[in-house]
Amino acid sequence: MPEEKHEEQLVVFRLADQTYGVDVGSVVEIIRMESVTKVPRAPEFVEGVINLRGRIIPVIDLRRRFGLPLKEPDRSTRIVIVEMGGMTVGMIVDAVLEVLRIPTDKIEPPPAVVSGIDVAYLRGIALWQEDMIILLDLEKVLYEHEKEALAEADISSLEGRAV
Amino acid sequence: MFDQETLSVFLDELEEKIQVISDNLLVLEREGGDAQALQEIFRAAHTVKGSSAIMGFEDMSNLTHEMENLLDLLRRGELEVTPQVVDTLFEALDVLKALRDCILDPSREAPEIGPVVAKLRGFREARPLTSPASRPAGGTKAGLTEAEEATIYEAQIRGFQAYHIKVTVAEDCQMKGVRAFLVFRTLEPLGEIIKATPPVEELEEGEYERSFELIFLTKEDPGRLRHLLLTVSEIVEVEVTPVTLEQRPAEHREVAATREEKRPAAASPTGLAPTKTVRVDVQKLDELMNLVGELVINRTRLDRIVEIFEQRYGSDDLVEVLEEVSNHLGQLTNELQEQIMKARMLPVGQLFNRFPRMVRDLAHKLGKEINFVVEGKETELDRNVIEVIGDPLIHLLRNAVDHGIEPPEEREALGKPRVGTIRLKAYHQENHIVIEVEDDGRGIDAERVRQKAVSLGLVDPETASRLTEEELYNFIFQPGFSTASQVTDLSGRGVGMDVVRKQIEQINGTVEVSSRPGQGTKFSIKLPLTLAIIRALMVSVEGQTYAFPLTSVLETLKVSREEVRRVKDMEVVPVRGSVLPLFSLAELFGGQPRSIPHLYVVVVNLGGGKRAGLVVDELLGEQEIVIKSLGEYLGRIPGIAGATILGDGRVALILDVRGLVQPKSCRLEAKCLEEELAAVG
Repeated sequence: MPEEKHEEQLVVFRLADQTYGVDVGSVVEIIRMESVTKVPRAPEFVEGVINLRGRIIPVIDLRRRFGLPLKEPDRSTRIVIVEMGGMTVGMIVDAVLEVLRIPTDKIEPPPAVVSGIDVAYLRGIALWQEDMIILLDLEKVLYEHEKEALAEADISSLEGRAV
Repeated sequence: MFDQETLSVFLDELEEKIQVISDNLLVLEREGGDAQALQEIFRAAHTVKGSSAIMGFEDMSNLTHEMENLLDLLRRGELEVTPQVVDTLFEALDVLKALRDCILDPSREAPEIGPVVAKLRGFREARPLTSPASRPAGGTKAGLTEAEEATIYEAQIRGFQAYHIKVTVAEDCQMKGVRAFLVFRTLEPLGEIIKATPPVEELEEGEYERSFELIFLTKEDPGRLRHLLLTVSEIVEVEVTPVTLEQRPAEHREVAATREEKRPAAASPTGLAPTKTVRVDVQKLDELMNLVGELVINRTRLDRIVEIFEQRYGSDDLVEVLEEVSNHLGQLTNELQEQIMKARMLPVGQLFNRFPRMVRDLAHKLGKEINFVVEGKETELDRNVIEVIGDPLIHLLRNAVDHGIEPPEEREALGKPRVGTIRLKAYHQENHIVIEVEDDGRGIDAERVRQKAVSLGLVDPETASRLTEEELYNFIFQPGFSTASQVTDLSGRGVGMDVVRKQIEQINGTVEVSSRPGQGTKFSIKLPLTLAIIRALMVSVEGQTYAFPLTSVLETLKVSREEVRRVKDMEVVPVRGSVLPLFSLAELFGGQPRSIPHLYVVVVNLGGGKRAGLVVDELLGEQEIVIKSLGEYLGRIPGIAGATILGDGRVALILDVRGLVQPKSCRLEAKCLEEELAAVG
């Protein structure tokens, strides 16, 4: 590996003053924030669904997903549409910054503690021009704990009914 | 090898022919040597023989060849149609189906065709000697069998001409076999030799006198053929004469025309509606439907823009043109949508045709005598719907044969006709299709259902004693209500009924049962015309739009606050003498209770005479909506059946009323509530 020149292409976005990156290969497109239809009884982090040129796409709120303080969407809010395991999902982010090429050797494994979000969602950390970019493990972001969340949603809805 | 498309065309055709054979065998069995039926089977077997040979499915070709031979004798009256013959033909059909299954799934073990072929041959060999042993060689029309005539006729339709070619070799010809071989080689690139007298093998061995005869299909000019053959050395004479089929038997006309698929309506000898068709992958239709859906949405957006322009620029020429274009586009889109929907429709006969054989076999096995009546085969349904309802219908029919219809002796003892009747019927009803499975058997014993329901704890004895029969019958749709051991106890109407209902509800359909003890049972399945598009009642709740499939909506009400009563934590409203439990959609979806002076209530049918009122903020009216799935990521959410895209591009959720409200508790409680209300006054 040493001699080969490896680099990763990342879509870099901002979420609550932190910079994140996802592999450009899994990003289908980036769209402006639009009206999201709420889906009752869906897991809490699911913001709802949108119409992407005739397709119904679920959208998750990354702030909610990472347990960050919520924020009203503004002009720079974007939905990053990603594809993962044959499914297309949108992620709401504060702003999309750029597409970056980062040499693989600049990427380090995730540290034990990162302020803000659960380490479980991380794939690594890239240091780039004095900036720290947190690389997300999309699969975990989209799927990890989803079952638990669903189960919780079930329980809470049952509780609601009982009361 | 053949590509996938060729194979799928072949399989489609095979499926069709298998169906024809199956249908007509049933006719044969019922009515004996029906000439029409024999022709149909013969024709179908003949077609399969030809196409399977082309595809290289040798076993299938050999089997159908034997069937064809036997059928040829039958239709010429040289052999009598006996039950044994019909049974053997059924057997052959089963082997044919098994062969087809092997093509579909090559991992299956191929069936042995030997035994059934031997049986088929057996009939031919055992036939009475009074019949002509074989046709004279120079007999009618160049000694052609009818099968050969059929081949010729089909070829003629495709633009080929059949020629009778007589080749004579020199008297002192030394290598007659080689000459014959060279003749074949000369002819082969130009067309197809369908018959040789003597047979090809003998000719190539040189086993013929001075001449031999061929029937040759070609598009070549006869003069050229003759010329070419004369270039083969030692060939001294060649006669080429066109073969004319004097009288084209009706069935040949149809076989050929079906293959060409451009049979004019008037030429149809059977009176069946002829169709010009091409086969299209369903996925392509689905894609088209999606595209039309998008077109609809964009057209609506264009309408909006026109409105804005009008407001901004008033009566500008260009605005008027834009408006005109937008209107026209609207009409075109509607038409396109309608046409594509129609393209997805299939006559339900495609499915129903499978059942007569099944009912027959089952009845035989169980010693029942059943007259199976099928009505409304031509009723059209979306092909996805047809795919889904197959299983539930099989279930219902099996139940009707097994547990509905009594054994013949029992029927006679009851003073009923010995032969039971099962009626399968499809018809249109407004925007829906109704399919009924009705038998004149013993019916459902409501009393036993009552006992069973109580013993399973589904209902307390008190309430149970007051349930109507209709309400009782609905217990049979409860999961686990009847297991195999209880089948006979309860005349078996519970086997997998919950599955039947589930499958039907998955496609927004409903199923109801009615029964009269001793007189029979009727299941009515109500289905949307298509899965892709349904009519829906649009409502709004907390600023979001939701769609109720019209199949589940009974009526809408406007109720004032004062009318609502509260009993046992439940809000109810009296409607025409009965009590309707109310549920707030907003609350069901986790919202806060609100008090509004007037409630808009959508009364929904939960099945089995059970109703519930769902309170919404606003009724927005009826609309056709395109159903879309929420996708795997969200999975199945109870109470949400899917989503649709509105005219303004936003998404509205489609509700699943049975998932929203627990029907069981709702109904039973409603009963209790009714009493309490009566007590309260």
